[in-house]
Amino acid sequence: MTSATVTGRETAPPPAPATERRPGRVRHRPTRSPAAERRRRVRTRIIVAGIAYLVTFLVVLPILWIVLLSFQQSDQILSDPFSVQTLTLENYRDAIATLPLVQMYKNTIIIAAVAVTIGTTVSFMASFALTRMVFRRRGVQSALLLYFLAGLAVPVYVLLFPVYRLDLALGIFGTYAAVILPYAVVSIPFNTLLLTGFLRGMPGELEEAAIIDGAGLFRVCWSVVLPVMRPILATVVIFNVVYVFNEFPFVSVLINDPDLATVSLAVSKFQGQYSVNYGGMMAAATLVLLPQLAIYAVLQRHVIAGLTAGAVKG
Amino acid sequence: MIWLSSRWRIAVMVLPAVVLFTLFFAYPVLYGVGYSLTDAQGFSAPRLIGLDNYAALGDDPFFWLSLKNTVIILVVSVAFLVPASFALALLMQQRIRAAGALRALLFGPAIVAPILVGLVWVFILDPRVGLLNRLLVPLGIPEIQWIGGDSLTPYSIALVFSWASIGFAMTIFYAGLQQLPDDVMEASSLDGATRWQQLLHVTVPMMRETIGIVSILLVTNVFKIFELVYMLTGGGPVHRSETLVSYMYFVTFTSQRYGAGMAIAVVVLVLGALTSLVYLALARRGRSA
Repeated sequence: MTSATVTGRETAPPPAPATERRPGRVRHRPTRSPAAERRRRVRTRIIVAGIAYLVTFLVVLPILWIVLLSFQQSDQILSDPFSVQTLTLENYRDAIATLPLVQMYKNTIIIAAVAVTIGTTVSFMASFALTRMVFRRRGVQSALLLYFLAGLAVPVYVLLFPVYRLDLALGIFGTYAAVILPYAVVSIPFNTLLLTGFLRGMPGELEEAAIIDGAGLFRVCWSVVLPVMRPILATVVIFNVVYVFNEFPFVSVLINDPDLATVSLAVSKFQGQYSVNYGGMMAAATLVLLPQLAIYAVLQRHVIAGLTAGAVKG
Repeated sequence: MIWLSSRWRIAVMVLPAVVLFTLFFAYPVLYGVGYSLTDAQGFSAPRLIGLDNYAALGDDPFFWLSLKNTVIILVVSVAFLVPASFALALLMQQRIRAAGALRALLFGPAIVAPILVGLVWVFILDPRVGLLNRLLVPLGIPEIQWIGGDSLTPYSIALVFSWASIGFAMTIFYAGLQQLPDDVMEASSLDGATRWQQLLHVTVPMMRETIGIVSILLVTNVFKIFELVYMLTGGGPVHRSETLVSYMYFVTFTSQRYGAGMAIAVVVLVLGALTSLVYLALARRGRSA
């Protein structure tokens, strides 16, 4: 990106390298003087940048509004929310006192860690077998792959009630396992899609060399294949962690003990919990939002890659 | 790899995924389809009633309303989002200061939990406390029932969905644009094409496949809209703002008519499967091209 080096919104910019590479553009407007042409280009660039900044501002605005309200007294929110003279930290004192922040993050992290570990591990093992190992009947191999990938077409809403019954039957309803298992399993189709795709494009010489050197299956996977797959595994893990953190339908059905509530489940109760204490509610929302946005700010590139994987090639 | 492909080694590798997937995915799908053929509700024992639940859906005005709302959200948000996010991606290709930061900010809403998105937008759309009416009413515009009124809620949900998705869609378009070969652009501008002609006759045709993929992804995501309804209106008043999945959730878990709920779930399943088939066809054509 050379954009950072471009200056000059009032002053005329120096001739840009990108323009030099395309002389055609100037040549086809022979009637204009070079100075007029330059002015026109500066004007276009200011308009383009203006639109981009405006749209971004509009997208960020709702978040800014929530943060503003979180510093506003609740009665002030009803009368004059825009006033900046009455800002207070009281809402945060309220929210921290009433919100089991530590508990809900602990629950979410435990559930995410276990579910993503299980989901990624079993998906990796299956993907390795389905792309690398030699089945006696090839039909079984492709049928199994199709079986997992077919899951991509199923909206998880179909699973809510059946899994609820299954959890009850297995006696795990109301425990972490009630959501850990479905979270791990619904990740299998997408994980398999990405992992088999990566494995197919990866040469097998390293594995063969390791096998000739006497490595067993575990060593081949652990010391040879996994290190090479680190980037795609990072993508898979990020995608799944974000999913678990944000998931609501499953957790709302499968967890009814407030002590086990994840962040999403806790947020869904804010309206009832704070009722007209809007300031407290907004402070609580900000307390949930900010850590997420902070992590996103740090891992931005990876998160974007993770969430658009599958739609973006390469 | 043939040396390590004994039958038991393959079984050890494949079985964990097969067992988990069968138990928590395949079996539940079949269970749901089976339940949709029964009159199961509350604590009574389910009886097989064939396709009666599906016939009953045809007579259920709330089901049709939720389908209609889903279609409204779908049409409005896709019709807006595809061109808007494409245009935004084109903008982001221009040389703008801090373009990278802008792209990151635009993508931001995509990582916020939908339930939290819903809560945030309550404070924008709520007729009394919401930001929107706070800004409009002083201008002399009468208080508008963005949510909770008779008819506007699905449009407002489309707005919120668009807010949450525009950066995501833009990112996919942007990645697609980055992969367009430079020489085609240069050739067309040497041939005297204006920027506008280039866009219409070079860029858009070459991006056709990405446009298809983004549209289908958005359609899939619209079918999943649940949390927004849950937070903004709870489906009310009297189910006027339900989507298919939120109504399914209500019928299944709130009124505990499991058989009827699963019939709606199967409708959602069929729509989801159809969308995926279209996606698959698009992706396959893209790969062979």
